[in-house]
Amino acid sequence: MKRVYAKEELCLNCRLCEVYCKTAHSHSKDIVTAYKKEEPAPSARLRVSGDNHLSVAINCRHCENPKCVEACITGAMTKDKATGIVYVNESKCIGCMSCLAVCPFGCIQTGSFAVKCDLCRETGEPACVKNCPNRALVYTALGGEQE
Amino acid sequence: MKYCIIGASAAGLACAESIRQADKSGEITVFTKESSLPYSRPSISYYLKGAVGSTEMLLHPAAYYRAKGITILTDTAVTAIDREHKVLRAGRKSYPYDKLCLCTGSKPFVPPVKNAAGKANALTFLEIATVKKIKAKAGKNTRAVVIGAGLIGMKAAEGLSKICKSVDVVELAEFILPSILDKSAAKLVKAHVEASSNIRFHLGNTVAEAKSKGTHITGVRLGSGEELPCDLLVLAVGVRPETSLAEAAGLAVERGIVTDAATMQTDDSDIYAAGDCALSLDMLDSQKKIIALWGNAVKQGKTAGFHMAGAPQQAGGAYAVNAIDFFGCRICTCGLIHADAAPYTSKVQQAGGSYKKLVFCGEHLVGFVLVGASDNAGIYTSLIENQVDITTLQGDLMDTPHIFLFEKAVRQQRLKGEESA
Repeated sequence: MKRVYAKEELCLNCRLCEVYCKTAHSHSKDIVTAYKKEEPAPSARLRVSGDNHLSVAINCRHCENPKCVEACITGAMTKDKATGIVYVNESKCIGCMSCLAVCPFGCIQTGSFAVKCDLCRETGEPACVKNCPNRALVYTALGGEQE
Repeated sequence: MKYCIIGASAAGLACAESIRQADKSGEITVFTKESSLPYSRPSISYYLKGAVGSTEMLLHPAAYYRAKGITILTDTAVTAIDREHKVLRAGRKSYPYDKLCLCTGSKPFVPPVKNAAGKANALTFLEIATVKKIKAKAGKNTRAVVIGAGLIGMKAAEGLSKICKSVDVVELAEFILPSILDKSAAKLVKAHVEASSNIRFHLGNTVAEAKSKGTHITGVRLGSGEELPCDLLVLAVGVRPETSLAEAAGLAVERGIVTDAATMQTDDSDIYAAGDCALSLDMLDSQKKIIALWGNAVKQGKTAGFHMAGAPQQAGGAYAVNAIDFFGCRICTCGLIHADAAPYTSKVQQAGGSYKKLVFCGEHLVGFVLVGASDNAGIYTSLIENQVDITTLQGDLMDTPHIFLFEKAVRQQRLKGEESA
């Protein structure tokens, strides 16, 4: 499947991926509204780790055998059979964060429900990749080896 | 091929799904004595406080099982296993099996409280049916008493606190949540719960006797002599593995059903066991123990299912990992947390409302307790599960764990989604 691969060599720690991810997962889809006005506040589904010296965006690997799905106590975390996307059914999630406790890559964040990358499955085009100005994020099925 | 599974919770369902993945045509029948299709048992406290409805608690809709060809027989208690004829008995009905998996889970351990047995308002907290009864009895004037401050008792208390006038929790141990917290962390969580709710604790104490009027409990007398009014008594001291069917069938049972950890097979080659009813082999201290946790049950159910269908997969090691929250206080724990003496060492960091304890054995992380500090906890879990030599890591392990703990080559692997280097 196509996944988002991050390259620390190219990451500038600008965090625009977070900005566009949050906006893409907001109700309004408008940057200012998403950041300043929306209640409940939307969350970015990926996070840049590191500092200006060395940084890289961390987002879900959509694992073949996802530990988060195995650990989910409500059936809210699912791997879509057709697309391979691992996503949270927000109405079933109780926010226990059992998924966070087992995600080996630190891709899940705390909220009233588990907050994680869904590869922008509604639009089919990850907003983080589209808006990364320096191609530190690529969306490919090639394991991130090739741009 | 006829597959039978007794129990339709985490292990039973994972077992059925794994069998179906490996065997497209075999008959799969899952027996449950409960009336509900498989549901999220840990969500019962959320149901109690009204955060989820009983439909949202179902793990899958009925159509899911029809599509998978998995038959779930609700209200069907298996009464005996006839190993000689390879038949299950449920009342007067018989069900033949070729491969059987016992996923009978836990049963509540009911503490001996004088005059409480059989009373209409003394209930356990494990099944949705009894929780519905509790919910029907609880109201804004209800004074509830919960016996037990373990995971079940504390979740029951949290659920009740939202709908009852008062909740008194009585616990024999000196601190709350002894299975997942150390004493310092427990103190912190207790203070948070007391500040956030109408829950009051009576630690190092017991309920000695219930006072009643007819079939109704009206109050309790504690071991300390103190008396509390009580309109609802919730018995949540803990659980024990439900092994009675296995014992009656002559299978090897110690504290739980004895299985081979790699296959979950019992001493009868056609019978498997998984989940809370089965003994686990803790990969961290090589002790045989009951790890009564959802994730462990799912893993064991899968292992059993794939073996039953003749498509064995490598089983990962068992260990405890738990995430839970009380009134917004997030707790995440894993592995060996009470390992305080040699060869174990630990590091503790406490600031404000947060607490972090990491437990080490030599160069390996073997456990953690995180209160209000669970960010990226899964990275710690990964270090534990993969027995990573922590001297190969860079930076301070006591900080929130992140990808730059790992050297470049490992980072590249992890960014691709490969966990162990």
